[in-house]
Amino acid sequence: MTTQLPPGLQLEKVDERIMTLNVGPQHPGSGHMRLIIKVDGDYIVSCDPDPGYVHRGEEKMAEYRNYIVNIPHLERPVIHDSCNVLYPYCLGVEELLGLEVPERAKYLRVIASELNRCVYIQYWLAIYGIFLGHSTMFMWPAGDRELLIDLLEKITGARVTHAYFVPGGIRNDVPANFEDMCLKRVNYFEKRIKEYAAIFYDNPILISRTQGAGVLSREDAIRLGTTGSTLRASGVDFDLRKKEPYDAYGELDVHSNVLKDGDSYARSKIPWLDMLESCNIIRQALQKMPKSGSVRVKLKPNPKGGNDEVYKRVESGRGSLGCYIVSRSQPEPYRLKLSVGSFRNLICMPYLLKGEKLGNMPAVYWSLNYWPVEADR
Amino acid sequence: MGTATGIIKALNSGIKHLAIKRFTLRYPEQKLKFVGDGYQFDPTTGVGIAGYKGRHMLFHDKCTGCQLCAIACEGVAEAIGMVKVQDEWKHNKKGIMPQIDYGKCVFCGLCVDACPFYALYMTNDYELSSFTKEALIYTPAQLQVKPFVQQDAEIIFDSRGATHG
Repeated sequence: MTTQLPPGLQLEKVDERIMTLNVGPQHPGSGHMRLIIKVDGDYIVSCDPDPGYVHRGEEKMAEYRNYIVNIPHLERPVIHDSCNVLYPYCLGVEELLGLEVPERAKYLRVIASELNRCVYIQYWLAIYGIFLGHSTMFMWPAGDRELLIDLLEKITGARVTHAYFVPGGIRNDVPANFEDMCLKRVNYFEKRIKEYAAIFYDNPILISRTQGAGVLSREDAIRLGTTGSTLRASGVDFDLRKKEPYDAYGELDVHSNVLKDGDSYARSKIPWLDMLESCNIIRQALQKMPKSGSVRVKLKPNPKGGNDEVYKRVESGRGSLGCYIVSRSQPEPYRLKLSVGSFRNLICMPYLLKGEKLGNMPAVYWSLNYWPVEADR
Repeated sequence: MGTATGIIKALNSGIKHLAIKRFTLRYPEQKLKFVGDGYQFDPTTGVGIAGYKGRHMLFHDKCTGCQLCAIACEGVAEAIGMVKVQDEWKHNKKGIMPQIDYGKCVFCGLCVDACPFYALYMTNDYELSSFTKEALIYTPAQLQVKPFVQQDAEIIFDSRGATHG
């Protein structure tokens, strides 16, 4: 007699031709996550992404800490992009507490978050390069990233975990000769990243490797709810800095980069174009920034919000990053939810990898601009 | 652009770098220069002063033992504990001062923001490694000492690329 097993416990039928491969969860090739890939020979039949190995409970932790003490741990999901991760949280708390951010702080926030975006993208580009076997593309971004890290260290006092943004402005004003220092570095940085074109993006070997791999059509990109560079590489012009300008972005001329192909090559080129755009934004912001003034609103200890809820989102290095805060007249948030770009981009991985060669897996996987720690929160 | 031209251009852009100066910071011999003497905070205006967030420095003549730094650290790292000190201060009736465990500290600087008496600052000292966990716990007496740092390397830009000098 055969007993009917409940759904979920049923045994899988095994095909002789199909082999299951676990890519991850140890680091090589996947980050802190697992891809359960079924292959038929060299071709991928199905792919099941399995995140959750680095879940830290950031959202639950936030319910037991007040609005200021939440800052250091909320930037942990993506320490390389820590300013952008804190940005929606600060915007949300400012609306809850009714704070008006000083004009100078708005511009300094834009500069810090654009610098941080470049730092993040350089780190991502280094990993993308090394996983495609292009070791020069690991060394160059990792080295040039140091220029901006050094600048951010002079502003915020830490290399990666800045804890720089606070509800009501920024922690401290910039050092005395900041504008000169920033302009010099950003100009040199721009000159350097333009050199990447010849060795990486116009390199016929890379083009033949990534062009046409993992094509995401415009309709699929919208249907699957992707954001950021993945969405813009598929031909959808959606950049929150332009569509829903926050802080000083409304007064700056922001150009969003769009490519139509939707393949790995386009997805890897968009962040590089974003870095060039970031350099433009920083130069504009330096020009328009008020030369002096307050940078932070003085807060009472343990500030309380009303019975209210708020949702704010910003464009991070990986796409739209939202923060939903519910307040119940307490110094702590009643509920805090982070809606992150990485998790949304993860959903299209099974669609992209189906029918691809196994060798294309790293090219497709890393082109999604996916950060496992952020997806798990 | 043909495949051959593309590959030659890629090689060429790499070969150019043989003539470019080395950007690497030779760390133990060279140390990066920071702005100022470390992160400080002005409680009257509520704004910090830019600087590196390194090891703390405690001013015994200003600390009142109010525990605000320890309370600020509770939700972050629980690195600060209040301990008894031997010497007597008129403004510090309880005779307690912060002791910081650098095995836990995340160098966010919220304790400096919490201090209303200008008693806790951060310094440029970041070389805190030790062989034991106990040595990472800095007592108030150790925190009182101003660290000796020799940091002078800066990024120099010239026609042959950026270098640390």
